[in-house]
Amino acid sequence: MNSNASIKTIRLCGELEIGRKSEIRDALSRSGEERAILIDLSEVTYADSVALTELLRFCVECQRSGVAVALVIKTPQFARVVQYAGLASAFKTFDNSEGAVAYLSEHVQR
Amino acid sequence: MTRRLPTPLVLTLAFLVLLVGLLLAGGLLVRSILTESFSNAEHIQSARVLVATALRAQLDEESAVRGYSAVHDPLLLQPYYEGRRTLPGLLRGTGTVIERLGVRDALPYIDDAAATNRRWLVRVASRLLVARKRTHVLELRGKVLADRFRADIGAVDQALVRREVLGDARAQRAIIWANFFALAAVLAVAAAAALFTVQEYRLGVRLEQERAEAEEQRRRTAELRAAYDAEKRIADTLQAAFAQRVLPDMPTVRLSATYVPATEEAKIGGDWYDALQLSQDRMLLAIGDVAGHGIDAAVAMNKTRQMLISYALIDPTPGRVLERVNTELVTENSPMITAVTGLIDADTCQLSYAVAGHPAPVLLEPGRRARFLKAGSLPLGIDPNTSYATHLVQIAPGAMLVLYTDGAIEYSHDVLEGETLLLQAIESAVQNHEDDPATAIRVGIFSRHRVSDDVAILTVHFLEPDAARDVSEASALRRSA
Repeated sequence: MNSNASIKTIRLCGELEIGRKSEIRDALSRSGEERAILIDLSEVTYADSVALTELLRFCVECQRSGVAVALVIKTPQFARVVQYAGLASAFKTFDNSEGAVAYLSEHVQR
Repeated sequence: MTRRLPTPLVLTLAFLVLLVGLLLAGGLLVRSILTESFSNAEHIQSARVLVATALRAQLDEESAVRGYSAVHDPLLLQPYYEGRRTLPGLLRGTGTVIERLGVRDALPYIDDAAATNRRWLVRVASRLLVARKRTHVLELRGKVLADRFRADIGAVDQALVRREVLGDARAQRAIIWANFFALAAVLAVAAAAALFTVQEYRLGVRLEQERAEAEEQRRRTAELRAAYDAEKRIADTLQAAFAQRVLPDMPTVRLSATYVPATEEAKIGGDWYDALQLSQDRMLLAIGDVAGHGIDAAVAMNKTRQMLISYALIDPTPGRVLERVNTELVTENSPMITAVTGLIDADTCQLSYAVAGHPAPVLLEPGRRARFLKAGSLPLGIDPNTSYATHLVQIAPGAMLVLYTDGAIEYSHDVLEGETLLLQAIESAVQNHEDDPATAIRVGIFSRHRVSDDVAILTVHFLEPDAARDVSEASALRRSA
């Protein structure tokens, strides 16, 4: 959990593929108390359609529950995947953690 | 084939052999002790008989001499002469037996008894026979010597008795050992039998387990084989359906398409493409990809294709078509699906399209580099409230539009590299005026890379007016033929 107890940070690394489906599903979970979630994908270089499905469904579910979501994406390859998968247009994405935390903190205080 | 004995069985057998060896050695030892003990006992008995006989012979001698000296009857001397004849031999025999038995402490007594007897014969018996009357001196001397002889014989007998007791104790110990060995043998055999039974049971359990595992493995293999065969049939059918697809034939637009499954093994993908002529000038294009593989993906793909065409027949606006399909898919809890829907108006040379989470279409216009069209909305089946924008693009004559699935750019997991190679392959196919640009693009990409996912490519070539007229005439000729 982030220092700000209302913001939960979820960190995934490497290539997200069908073989890691349960690991990804376990990581993408909510306790119900957090008001904002930072998904740190700064070290992700690739995600296949199955992993993207998990990510998208989680983000949509958070949004529906009023939980703010911010994604940190740094690698250009994954940024391109995220762009055409619609994640970048449907959710807030940042290329650094500070920006994401600032955005989520503002949401929490609101 | 030689069958190796299981290790536990070998160990049990080795244990038994060792045990039998030890028991045999113990038994032989006990047997030798007992045999020796019995043999000694016999010798002791015979020695004691000899000793008793010697004592009786000496008594007979003494009685005979006394009797003769009293009544002077020579007949009474018969035992005397008999004793003189046999007693030395008896004593020698006793000495030999005693020496064989190892009762060395009794030997001096034997010698002393023989010497005493000889003295008695010389100093007492001979004089009595000559004097033919008893004197106190001779009486006393005779008594002293006779007592000494008896004492010697008594000591020899005591030594023999001690030796007998010793032998009995040894035999008793040997019998105890024999009992111990017998008991040990019974216990060891029982232990070995128990050990063997346990090991045999374990071996049986292990063999049964291995047999069950092998059976389970065979069953799974058979199931996998059956599933593989089923998927292979479906994959073959789908591929055959793609291969037989007749693309619409319009005067100003020429289509080409290609589809290859992920691998040569049966791995049904969810990729598809469609091209449907809605009217004389309008054509519906669609390409899509269902997340995952297998029967579920194939079913979702077919359902989505049907929905997409059905909704396009009602309202072909690409964004509206995707929104309707999306609502339906979310309701049905379908897998995630990415898709592009396009509507070509050949009369105005316009393309309207909408993208749902799918890689961006590529447009290559004459005199320009190939470029990606605008894209970026959520895939279908994720959020029922997603809206899909319809983009309108004016297409220059001679341009080529390329729709494709992610397998064409994600084979190395570096999408940027994949996109660069895709653009190069498209430009190369157009420059070379390929008759089948879709296949040329696929070959251009995968001449250096392995197909790791399904790949579908659909190209739309907007013909130059002159080329369009030639194509139209050729089509007319084909129709009349």
